[in-house]
Amino acid sequence: MPDTPALDVQGLTVRYGGTVAVDALDLRIPRGATVALLGANGAGKSSTLNAALGLFRPAAGTVRLLGREPGEAIRAGGVGAMLQHGGLPGETRVGEVLTLVRRRYADPWPVEDLLATAGIEGLLGRQVDALSGGQRQRVLLALALAGAPPLLVLDEPTSAMDVEGRQAFWTTMRGLADRGHTVVFATHHLDEADAVADRVVVVDAGRVVADGSAAAIKSRVAGRTVRFRCPGPRAGLAALPGVTAVGGVGELVELATSDAEGTLRALLAERAELPGLEVRGATLEQAFLHLTTRPTDERSAR
Amino acid sequence: MTDLLLFQLRRVGRNRQYVFFTIVLPALFTILFTQVFGAQATADGGQQDYGRLYMVSMMAYGAIGAALGATIRLAFDRSTGWLRQLRVVPVPPGTALAVDVAVGALLVLPSLVVVALVGRFVNGVELGLGSWLGLIAVLWAGSVVFVALGIALGVALDSQAAGAATGILGTALAALGGLWWPVEILPSALVTVAHATPSYWYASLGRDVVAGHAPSAPTVLVLLAFAAVFSAAALVVSRRRPLHAVAG
Repeated sequence: MPDTPALDVQGLTVRYGGTVAVDALDLRIPRGATVALLGANGAGKSSTLNAALGLFRPAAGTVRLLGREPGEAIRAGGVGAMLQHGGLPGETRVGEVLTLVRRRYADPWPVEDLLATAGIEGLLGRQVDALSGGQRQRVLLALALAGAPPLLVLDEPTSAMDVEGRQAFWTTMRGLADRGHTVVFATHHLDEADAVADRVVVVDAGRVVADGSAAAIKSRVAGRTVRFRCPGPRAGLAALPGVTAVGGVGELVELATSDAEGTLRALLAERAELPGLEVRGATLEQAFLHLTTRPTDERSAR
Repeated sequence: MTDLLLFQLRRVGRNRQYVFFTIVLPALFTILFTQVFGAQATADGGQQDYGRLYMVSMMAYGAIGAALGATIRLAFDRSTGWLRQLRVVPVPPGTALAVDVAVGALLVLPSLVVVALVGRFVNGVELGLGSWLGLIAVLWAGSVVFVALGIALGVALDSQAAGAATGILGTALAALGGLWWPVEILPSALVTVAHATPSYWYASLGRDVVAGHAPSAPTVLVLLAFAAVFSAAALVVSRRRPLHAVAG
């Protein structure tokens, strides 16, 4: 069934006591896609992924992985996952755990290549309890990859890694995506979503608030930023056409504007020079804040 | 399943504390207490009786420790996240639990056999072949009570409480159930307590066999009741708090 989606969640609702963690969320991810679930802590990313993996029964909604029930898809060897609260058994060596897990798959990832891909060559003889945080994450990645599964689900996989570890990790993930694996990952790092995913799903308060390419999501923020150096007085800048906010540090002025062209025309008309002029689109961070910031009245009502 | 079983057996077997408390210590006790206290009993010609009963008690003590120690550790595998990880690996549902039950049951055997060998060849306990086999068989079968208890505790407790329980519970069951000293020498209040412990009835299984008859019906019924209660507890708790649920 190669035409069924890799991950298909419809009307997913997850409640913890009285709190709604995931609110009638729909998410369909075709095979071969690399998708970031982007959201702040508590936005509902983990709950969505854990429910998708069948780790608990949601209050409502349906979940299909590769066209099957999650448990079935996992037992068929179609899914590999790095969980936020997953871990390794004590009193074992890395090699023993890896062998145990690889043997569960009919067609496991060849071991030498698996070790190189996960970056754990030389760790096989190591006691699990003696691993560093980053090494532990890489071993967990190796377990997730052990069956060479078509679908990889990664819940904040780089949380225990340093900057270099994160870069190496995402290089690996891009390589897997190029080989046709579907990669779905949760993150609150905007740069990860921007750099790795060909689709970003922004989750807030248990709902999807934006879904598209990183560029498309950035463009959801219509505004532009006009920057230039201005040693003199700044009076009147806020009154320029389109300007919604005046910021900047020292000589640098940053005008947030809803009408970049109008702002520029007015600036050029009244000033002889605009040193260091730049006009920029929104960053993913601005888009993210824009998308996930709730209206003030709703916030004050809390 | 076989892979996972061997994996778990290796992990437990390489724990030196576990091997010490479930095999070495009961064996040493069997030698020490039979030689020291048994010597006083020799005057009354009771050495053979004493040696038999103390051996049975130590077989029970070792088996209880082995069954509990091998199963309560479920709590550790939950707290590390390993049981959760196993859920996203192709393993049939219930396998992790079934394997730990099997590990608990299997690891009871070395304790029983080693203490029996010490009883026979160091302390000179004499029994017919049928009695030896019967003794090991009833104590092995009866250990299901403590496997069930250990699973229930392993599912219910967090890793810290589980660590404490492993140490305390075996000792408490041995002391209160009359495994370290005969119940007959205890004040009547403590006899009542002893009769409320599964360890007392468990050792009774073996005492009946070495006395030359089948385990009494009350003994078997009480143990079945304990096994049912502990299994039900394990089932209820694991429903509410699945093995792969986040420790907390």
